[in-house]
Amino acid sequence: MKAFLRLSVFATLGTYLLIFIGGLVRVSGAGLGCPDWPKCFGRWVPPLSLSQLPPDVNPVMFNVALAWIEWLNRLAGVIVGVLIAATAIMALVKFRHVKRIWIPAVLSALLVAFQGWQGGAVVLSQLNPLSVSLHLLIAIVIASLLTYMTQHAYYLDVGSPEDAGAYSKGLRTTIVVLWIVAFVQVLFGASLRGSLETLMASHPLANDYELLNLLGGVKYVHLLIGVAIAVMTYQVGYMVFKTDTQPSLLVRYAIWLLIILITLQLFAGTGLIAIALPPLLELFHLWIAALFLGTLLILYTAVKPVKEVS
Amino acid sequence: MATKRGMPGDLLWGLPIMLALAFIAALVIAWAEKSKSAIPDLGEVPAFQLTERSGQELTRADMMGRLFVVDFFFTNCPSVCPLMTRTLKPLYDLYKNSDKVRFLSISVDPASDSLPALQAFAKEYGITDNRWLFARAPIEDVRKLMREGFMLNADDLPAGHPTYYILVDDKAHIRGFYPFNEEGAIYVLKQHIRELAREM
Repeated sequence: MKAFLRLSVFATLGTYLLIFIGGLVRVSGAGLGCPDWPKCFGRWVPPLSLSQLPPDVNPVMFNVALAWIEWLNRLAGVIVGVLIAATAIMALVKFRHVKRIWIPAVLSALLVAFQGWQGGAVVLSQLNPLSVSLHLLIAIVIASLLTYMTQHAYYLDVGSPEDAGAYSKGLRTTIVVLWIVAFVQVLFGASLRGSLETLMASHPLANDYELLNLLGGVKYVHLLIGVAIAVMTYQVGYMVFKTDTQPSLLVRYAIWLLIILITLQLFAGTGLIAIALPPLLELFHLWIAALFLGTLLILYTAVKPVKEVS
Repeated sequence: MATKRGMPGDLLWGLPIMLALAFIAALVIAWAEKSKSAIPDLGEVPAFQLTERSGQELTRADMMGRLFVVDFFFTNCPSVCPLMTRTLKPLYDLYKNSDKVRFLSISVDPASDSLPALQAFAKEYGITDNRWLFARAPIEDVRKLMREGFMLNADDLPAGHPTYYILVDDKAHIRGFYPFNEEGAIYVLKQHIRELAREM
């Protein structure tokens, strides 16, 4: 039991770290650091210098930093993929009778294999904005499945700790609404990023300030929805803590994490508009969004009464 | 037992983790930025003298202060040159709002490519302004410019002309060769133009 829980936690945390690394590839502009796929300049390990380039490759295509950053994402992807595959195999061997464990485990293993292939398609599409957004979306789905699975592995391990909680009827509905709004907001954010890429292609010499201006007022709509999400998050926290019930440790963690994340996210988003797209903030903005959706799922699952597992 | 509502102290561990990740990411981003702007300098374009389709003289001094995408072509070329021109045309359109980027096509068949022939060729591709220049010079001068200036093979002209776009910066230094038939190379060319234009 413990071994499976540990593996699940590693696979889940690894997936979130991988989303961070993927975001790093994007904001550092390293997406085409390796123009081929799955190899990088025809090698399994990228060249360190021009002298290691295959003779048929034009040296102008090679940038050592971008190649290694892109390759790091691929390597981390393989490692996390193996972790997820191992989790799925172990789930099938040990938890064939627990649907809420083996189903998300197998789904995430299938999806991560697809994700690897789709990542290649992103490169071969020359970073088509839709392909890039789809790549992030699949990553978020995988991370969510693994989060859900890990949470149930945890429950199996410690018994069912949520029995003490008796939450108001509207709470779960509020969480579902919040999740849907947050998910749409993530799609919205991805489309804003895609619009920026399109603008950059049609205005090749524009700087970040000019690009942000060209984007127009739609960014403020995104910000307003963000404020609404923050208010709803604080409301969810209030709904849980105003009751006399003893929230489980997991619920307490989830709520405080959500409050911290959404507050940071508002600062990051405002910063992106105010300082015109600094890459580091862009990276954290994207990553926090993925973490927020996962944590919200934990909270939803936690306030849902858990049935006994035979 | 009192209801626990406070923030679990363990969550504070997230802070150093976030900071560490931010620090590493900042280093990686800085590395990428630095390496993107480090476009190799492949040497200076030597002095040359060409005649533009308008009849005006064109020398190295005219390249100063602007980025130039240079290629070699000839108007009677059956296959490759029309493709090279057609591939470059979207870039010509792309930079229409900027005075920083210009294009220069040099004929490798001056015997046939008279100034009117160059004018007709430009017109055929919808090139109406002098952001894209078409120029000629005696074949020996072109050969010399190709060999000594652009480090290109000029043995088999006009048919065996090189199929690269050459990026020349605002100080008339060569910054890169981009094979016209690789989509990735055009992507890199645009990136390099962006980086160099930023420094101008």
